[in-house]
Amino acid sequence: MGDSKKTKIIMPKEPQIEILSYKRRQRLFQFLVLVFLIALPAMIFYTTGYRLNFENSDSTFITTGGMYVTTDTLEVDVYVDEKQVEKPRLFRSAYYIQNIEAGMHRIVVQKSDLHTWVKELPVDPRIVIEASAFNMPVKPNIRPITEFTTADNQPVFMMASSAVNVFAKATSTVTFIATTTVASSSLKTNEEYIFVDSLFGTSSLSRRSAISRLLDEVDRFRFATTTDTQSTTTKEVIVKKGDVRLVYKNNDVYAVWQNGLNNIPYYYCVGESDFISTSERFGEHVAEAIFGQDASINTVLFESDRVCRLEVKLNRLGQDVYYYDFFPNSSDLVLLLLSDGLYVTEIDDRAWQNTQLLYPGDNFEVVVENDIIYIKEDDSYFEIITEIETE
Amino acid sequence: MDSEDKSHLLPYARRPDFKVAKATELTGKDRRFFRFLEIVPGVAAWTTIIGIILASMYAPFFAAYFIIAFSIYWVLKTIFLSIHVRYNLKRLKHHMELDWGSLIKRFRYEQMHHLVIFPFYNEPREVLEETLKGLVESNYDKEKLIVVLAAEQRAGDDARELALDMERQFGNKFAHFLVTIHPEDTIGEIAGKGSNTHHALHQVREKVIDPQNIDYKNILTSIFDIDTVIYPDYFNCLIWHFMTAENPYKSAFQPVPLFTNNLWEATAVARVMAMSSTFWQMIMQERPDKAATFSSHSVSFQALYEIGYGQANVVSEDSRIFWNLLVANDGNFEVVSLSYPIAMDATTASSLWGTVKNIYRQHRRWTYGVENWCYLVYHFTKNKSIPLKKRWSIAALQGEGYWSLVTNPIMLFILGWAPIFLGTREFHATVLSYELPIMVRNLLIVAMLGLVVSSIISLSLTPPRPEGHSRFKYIVMALQWIMVPMTMIVFSAIPGLDAQTRLMFGRYMGFWVTPKRQK
Repeated sequence: MGDSKKTKIIMPKEPQIEILSYKRRQRLFQFLVLVFLIALPAMIFYTTGYRLNFENSDSTFITTGGMYVTTDTLEVDVYVDEKQVEKPRLFRSAYYIQNIEAGMHRIVVQKSDLHTWVKELPVDPRIVIEASAFNMPVKPNIRPITEFTTADNQPVFMMASSAVNVFAKATSTVTFIATTTVASSSLKTNEEYIFVDSLFGTSSLSRRSAISRLLDEVDRFRFATTTDTQSTTTKEVIVKKGDVRLVYKNNDVYAVWQNGLNNIPYYYCVGESDFISTSERFGEHVAEAIFGQDASINTVLFESDRVCRLEVKLNRLGQDVYYYDFFPNSSDLVLLLLSDGLYVTEIDDRAWQNTQLLYPGDNFEVVVENDIIYIKEDDSYFEIITEIETE
Repeated sequence: MDSEDKSHLLPYARRPDFKVAKATELTGKDRRFFRFLEIVPGVAAWTTIIGIILASMYAPFFAAYFIIAFSIYWVLKTIFLSIHVRYNLKRLKHHMELDWGSLIKRFRYEQMHHLVIFPFYNEPREVLEETLKGLVESNYDKEKLIVVLAAEQRAGDDARELALDMERQFGNKFAHFLVTIHPEDTIGEIAGKGSNTHHALHQVREKVIDPQNIDYKNILTSIFDIDTVIYPDYFNCLIWHFMTAENPYKSAFQPVPLFTNNLWEATAVARVMAMSSTFWQMIMQERPDKAATFSSHSVSFQALYEIGYGQANVVSEDSRIFWNLLVANDGNFEVVSLSYPIAMDATTASSLWGTVKNIYRQHRRWTYGVENWCYLVYHFTKNKSIPLKKRWSIAALQGEGYWSLVTNPIMLFILGWAPIFLGTREFHATVLSYELPIMVRNLLIVAMLGLVVSSIISLSLTPPRPEGHSRFKYIVMALQWIMVPMTMIVFSAIPGLDAQTRLMFGRYMGFWVTPKRQK
């Protein structure tokens, strides 16, 4: 016989898991209401710039501001007051730097093989100050445009001697063939070369004065108008992009805002209303432009919380300006052809204007057509590549 | 004029306006008041949406603070509701493991009958067969089951023949099997499940219940969608809850609808919507004091008889029947959650676009349930026997529910960014302007962690993988929840806004039959 003792399973009379009781739900609800009441003011304080400062023995609230820096160059290093900012990227081409205490701060945007951009700006509590950085390559990137190409569109340079160093001061972004022998039967004519050649016309290689060349070639450089405004030394030549006009007068180039205050770029404006504070925060030249003797209702506009000038003088490094135009695809940057090379300068003159050498030399010509910079040097044509290659 | 005998009805249910469906059925002050109530939800929703846009433009700081507050509220609400879902999952699984047949042995329930009504339109044969097989395979004495297959005359001879064929196939397996044909174009009705059920209840009382002399109090009526396949112990579980309910004749019994019949065949978007609906019902299972009946549910025949079987002139008949019962019983009616599943169909179609359209229409019909809020508030002002606190709390809760259904997803995923794009220059220069998107994004990420919980729970409720379906689909089922922000807007907010706007302009909706599996 088997084991007479059988395990008896006793079925419970009730399900063991009760419904979530009203009392428990109420407690949970009350707890979450409490969390809400604590979290809401804390998060509002945080998002408006207040921070708890633990540096002193007594923890205190401090108010912070921020910086918003746009840049077209990817993977740059950003420093504020010599400290690198960790993962500052908010969007693909913009950096939002939080938790900056009120006061003057130096911001540096740099990357190897590129020019460094530096700016010193004032940060106010609960306010974000904007800036736009740019970093041009130290060694220019170019794309040769040759008269002939191979069947698969590779540029072919015809040289008198194989000892000639082609593009010594630049890096070509495309591979090309340099040859001393002509085998035109295997090559084809480059249509782009014909186009670029027509842009430069048949002018001599010698550099002419900017004014005379610009006046000669008004249509080529897309200048909207040319007017004699004062004397022969103040002949005004105008280049326009959007609401910004580049004006050449008294041997200087000015970026002039042509619209109202609605969409005026931030760097035309300051929040102060007196010379001294503006001078301390943005530089004497800015204060002078706004509060100086030459400022007038025609050049300065006032709003409740800011004052804006309508023109900014560009930094020509004390050299003659031979040519100027907007940098391709930008109304914040300007190309200046000076005595020793082609430069890119920012209109934003707060603190100072960053000016970076794009292509060195004293014997070449420039044409900007359809947002492409073409250079003619030593009977060779090439395009300056303005988009920075990123890994 | 209504010449129907009303002597069996509860006193409040005898009012001529008891079964009002829309303002046009009333006159004078009542009509104007009901019309006002129909306008309120749409106005509230549009005012909120437009208000946030205007605030973003003209008072961006206020709008930003409001959005931060709302985002925190959303995170906490997600936590609150997730706890309900998790708790109910535990209870649901426990209930599925119990032997309800043994549990009810201590009760005397031999006298109880189950009346099961299956209204249908033109659903395919396999849907009906699967549903009726579910009944046959249930662990309950079939001699206590009265089954009514309620066909529609407007569906034509094919539907009628199919019903009769089902009667031939399954008729002898139950105590009674009745096929009813709901006549088309009946004055005072709108074509749909509500009117068909209403007709079927009349018919079964005349043809089966009264001739068999069955006490109405001994009949538990289950009104099921035609795709409802019961789990084997459903009737035992129902009996247990009926016997242990504080007031069984003043209770409606709500199972958890699992839209799993065709889950493996359904598209990802259909699965997400189906499971989202299940989750909402699981939440309501843990807070029955705030719930109304939804889709398939059960209630005493006596209770239905006392209100004249509910309304045949509304779209959202499944919930309206509960509000009819609540109002007629002076507030003394409640939902008892069974935490026991029934299986139903996820909404599908032969193409993805067809599925999207069907889900949209189904949810527009569901969200047209806002018509119940008008009904409730109207009768709350008439029936002073309902405790004032109860009237206020239900009206506020239901109102908030319909308002948040429409506005919250739009506020959360679209308008949360409005101050950044629409704000003033002064606002754009502030830290707040830059921190707002970061804060909202982070809070939404925290809230989205609830989706991980949803994903895990949904997998645990998914039926075993049938032959012919790849294991890879499990990964799709886990990842499909990333679509929730989109589904909340496309299948909750927009159809809800559509429904409320229609009601606001007096463009009353009819009943749209959700297509079941494809023929």
